[in-house]
Formats: sequence, C-alpha cells, structure tokens
Amino acid sequence: MNASLRGIRLVAAHEFRMRLRTGRWKWLLGGFTLTMLAFTWILHAALDSSRGSYYNGVTIVRDHSSIGPQMFGVLMLFVLGLMLIISPALTSQSVNGDRERGTLATLQVTLLSPADIAIGKLLAGWSVGLVALGLSVPFVVWSLIEGGVGVLSALVTLAVVALLIGVICALAQALSALTSRSISSGMLSYVVTAALALGTVIVYFMALSLTAEQRTARVGADYLSEGTLHHPEDVWWLLAPNPFVVLADAAPALPPLRADNGAFVERSDDPLGSLRRTVRDATRPEDVVTCYNSGYTELDPPGSVPSCRDPFVEPPPVWPWGLGFDVLLGVGAVTVTIRRLRTPATRLGRGVRVA
Amino acid sequence: MIEDAELAEPPSHGDAGIVAENVTRSFGTVWAVRGMSLVVPYGRVTALVGPNGAGKTTLMLMLATLLSPTAGRLRIAGVDPAEDPVAVRRVTGWMPDTLGMYDQLRVREYLDFFADAHRLSKADRVRAVPSLLATVRLAEYAEAPVHVLSRGQKQRLALARALIHQPRVLLLDEPASGLDPRSRVELRDLLRRLAADGVAVLVSSHILSELAEMADRAVFVSAGQVVASRELSELAAIGAGHQVGWRIRARDPQALQTVLAERGLTGGTLTPAGLELPPMTEDEASDLLAAVVGAGVRVLAFGPVGSPLESAYLALTEEGR
Repeated sequence: MNASLRGIRLVAAHEFRMRLRTGRWKWLLGGFTLTMLAFTWILHAALDSSRGSYYNGVTIVRDHSSIGPQMFGVLMLFVLGLMLIISPALTSQSVNGDRERGTLATLQVTLLSPADIAIGKLLAGWSVGLVALGLSVPFVVWSLIEGGVGVLSALVTLAVVALLIGVICALAQALSALTSRSISSGMLSYVVTAALALGTVIVYFMALSLTAEQRTARVGADYLSEGTLHHPEDVWWLLAPNPFVVLADAAPALPPLRADNGAFVERSDDPLGSLRRTVRDATRPEDVVTCYNSGYTELDPPGSVPSCRDPFVEPPPVWPWGLGFDVLLGVGAVTVTIRRLRTPATRLGRGVRVA
Repeated sequence: MIEDAELAEPPSHGDAGIVAENVTRSFGTVWAVRGMSLVVPYGRVTALVGPNGAGKTTLMLMLATLLSPTAGRLRIAGVDPAEDPVAVRRVTGWMPDTLGMYDQLRVREYLDFFADAHRLSKADRVRAVPSLLATVRLAEYAEAPVHVLSRGQKQRLALARALIHQPRVLLLDEPASGLDPRSRVELRDLLRRLAADGVAVLVSSHILSELAEMADRAVFVSAGQVVASRELSELAAIGAGHQVGWRIRARDPQALQTVLAERGLTGGTLTPAGLELPPMTEDEASDLLAAVVGAGVRVLAFGPVGSPLESAYLALTEEGR
C-alpha cells in the first residue's frame, strides 16, 4: 500500500500533537532559545570589540556593517551544530519506542500504510526541529541587521540547515526501526551523526595522508621545491557529505573586500566563505599556485599571471554532491523504515516484538 | 490420549469468519505455533484456551495481519492476509493484551484518530465515537486524558478502538484481565450482542472462568497445537470422567465434617464459600452427596470448583500428557 497524503497528514498531526502535549518540548525549545540568546549576545560583544581590525597587514576599507558576515557565519555554524545535537533525539525512538509502548501495532492494523506511518512520524519529528530552527531566526535577523549579508544568503543557509535536520531525523528513525531497544537507536543515531560531522573530517585527513608522494613541485609563486605533495583532488569527496561543509559551500558567497590600495583581499570576516574556499581548494591539485596579495589588482585580469590560481574564481561547488549524498542517505533511511514497518512480517529482528 | 484426527477440526466452512489450515509460525528455532487448524464461525464467540506460551498471542498476531505464517494458510472473511492484508484490516478488529494507549490524548480524540485511520467518513465518525463511548461506559470520560483512566477503563477503550470500524471479525487477546466484575458482565453481554449481529468473535485467555461466561465454543491449544475443539455444552461430558475439585457447604459444618471423616475425607480446605474437597469424578461426587444428605446433613451448596471449561481443560491437558 502506497503513501497517501491523507494518511501522512493524519499520522504527522497525531504525532505532533502528542509531542506538544508531553511538555518536554517546552524545556527543549526553551533551552535552545536561551542558548542561542547567550551565544549570540557573547558573539556580538566579541565581534563588536574587534571592529576596525586589519587584514593581512593591509587596512581594509570597512564600514559599520562588517561584523555582519562574521556574526552570521559563526551563528549559522553554531545553529547547525546545535541542530545536529537535537535532531537525532527527535526520531530515534519513534518506531521502537512505539513498539515498546504497544502503540505501533495498533496503527499497523488500521488502513494506514507503512509509508503513511514512516513519513508521518518523520514529518512530526522534523517539524519539531524546524520549530527550533525557527527560534533561531530572530538571532539570524540580528546578524542581518548588522549588515553585509543579504536576505537571500540567510534564506538559502536556513533552507540547507532545514534539509540537513530532515536527513538526520530520517537516519535516526531508520535506526529506531532497525533496533529493538530505543536506547540502542538513540546511541547509534548520535554515532551516525558524529560520523557525518566529525568522522568525514577524520577519514578525509587519513585518506589525504595516503595520497602523499615525494616530488619536485612548485610550492611558491616562482620557485621549485622538493617536497611532499598530497592529492586532495582524489579524496575531497570524503568531506562533501559533512553537514558543515554542505552548509558553508551552499551559502551564497559574499562580495570580495578591497584594501585601501585598491587590491582585492580574501575575506577573513566570513567563516562560511573561509570554509568554502578550503573545501573547494581541496578539489584542485595542491601544486597550483595562488597569487593573491602579490601585486595582483583588478587591472591584472585573472589569468594574466600564468599558473596562478585566481582567488576570485572558485572551483566548482562541492555542496551539490554533499547535499545530494545526504539527501539520498535520508531517502534510503525512509525506505528502510517503510520496509521494516511492512506487515504481515515474515521475519522479525532480534529481540523485536510485534505487540 | 485424544487422537489428532479426532481433535482436528476440518476447516471446510466457506462462510466462517476465520479459517486456519495447518498454520505454523517459528521465531528462529522456537516454534510458537505448530500446525494449528481451526474455524471461527460468524455469529459465535469462540474461546481460544491455553496456558501461557501455548501460541495464542502468536496466532492472534497472524490473524491481525501483523505476522505471516511460516507455513499453512489463513483466511479471514474469505481473504488470505498474506495476499491482501488491507482487505482483512477493513473487516477485522483486534484488541491486543498490551493495550497500546496514547496517554497524551483525550478519550474522544483517541477514538477519532483511529476512526480516521480506518478512513471512516466524518459523518460516520461523528456517529460512531459517542455511540461506542456509551457502549463501553466511557461517555463521561470523553474529554478526559487517557492517562487518567484506570486499567479496566483503558481495557474498555481498547475494545471501543477495535470496534470503531464495525468489524465482521473480532480478535480479543485477554480482554477481561483487569476488568471489574461489572465490566466483565458488560463485556460478556457486548460480545453476545456482537455475535448475535453475526460477528465472528475469537477471544483468547488463560483465565478460563472469564471465557466460560462469554463463549459458545472453545478451542484448546497447548504447545503451539490445537488439542481439542468443542461446543461449551459438550465440555461437561469431557470433564465428567475426570477428577476435579469439589466444594460443599452445609448448614451445620461440624455435622458435615463428621460425615466426611467417616468416609475418609479429612483435611479439606475450609473457605468462606464452603469446604473444598479433594479431586474426584462426577460419579464419586454424586455418591458422596447422597451419603451426606442420607446422614441428615442439610446441604446448602455442592458443585465442582471452577467452570466446566476449567474441568474440561484440565481433563484434556491431562490426557495430552
């Protein structure tokens, strides 16, 4: 039996209503809001005290708005981090918890399909995550008021976080469908989330070290050196599914800054941009030279210095691969959940009771 | 020992609510149900009787379309649940022994939700929910949260949930556990009414006195197999040749005990309901009663301890050993 809009809506509304009535959500959302408030306040104060700083030894033409990008970037990375902590808990007990309480079977003997139940429950858990994300919006608006970041950037970034919350919720739900005990699925959900957020970075650097080779390489603008050369272009994809990478890479780029002398400089006030450049650089061979801050001005059009990497022409984005992989992971997780909810069941997992 | 051929009920009833043919279900190396065959006709209340671990709940789960048999065939309202579980769910109501309540909901919301889940139209839902709440005596709790209900009230709400879509086949797993005497009487009356309306009712329990009050027929199961299948009216005959406990109450207990002692019956347990005697057959019991009355003792009550179902069950399982 396939999913029906009516069935999904019924299950989602039912689950959401019960979550609202448990009371725990008030503590969860209250704690989230207070954490956001405290963090944003401290962040703003710290950035405010550093207005008018210098970049790369060159005084930057700056206006009052320049703490906006930094505030926005740090805030969004923090929001994503918080959501990665909250999201697994939203659905990691939604199937085996209902089995333990004996409520799942009462749903399965109705005309609701496994897809109705799986997707409805997922939407309910995801919705709570989106409510939490919604509570972060006033703080994001605060950073927008500081200037330097467009509304479109904020909307795209929030949308990416929203999608990533859904992926994590789907993974946690699949684990709750695969394991018999809710404590096991809860722990496994955090392990999987950590694998995405931290494991990808660790595996990337381990894999990068395996690409090392000794060769003569151009490591500066105009000299050769014997040294160890890595091939990040072979392993960059390991970083792509990382939620922080996806977020930073998908966020629209801010316009470049210009120094007092008219030269363009790489922004150091944009954490998302810095992360994006780092990841995109990983898609290119290590021996391509970056020539910015070496007398390069807009009068020297990109490419006028042979072999130089143009700092303002970035490599292709990584986020479509990463987000695509994450979304596929989420869709796969939903499929697993649906399969595990199919009845009559021919096989039961170890320790799983039907009712 | 009762022969299998004698026990097995030929599943030939085309109009039966439930037909199980050699149904088997294993969980790994454990065989919970081993070749069960039974028929549950429409318009009758059939009791599924057996001890814990006999396979009653596993059979119920298969009938409720939650588990598929490892082997054998099921037909519910003429439909094989393995082939069309949705069609079976349309006509089947199931009340598990674990009630599966949503404590955060109000009683009316709980039934509204399951009415929607069974795709009842709004008009049908508006009509069915208050009517069922009245039937299970929960109308006054319609706006109360489920978590404030007692175990017995939750049991009745679970029954209302199983009936919300007017099923033609009703599966009840231990429905009377936790019910107070009045609720048990009402449950019995409700099941009798449903059966009179043509519903095929299968009730499982290991509390035989409950089943004796509400069933027309009994299917005895043990160790995953059907041991016997009988009308309740036949059960007295099964138990007649076997020893069961008896209870006697007289106006003068001292005189009674004197007569019993003369016949070598000492050490009976004295309860408020009377003196419980050691197990004996019906013939032995009637001889004893004649002797007691003949000795001038005025007997107020005399009968077997437990129901005919218990007697028959004990007799059948004793034969099966």
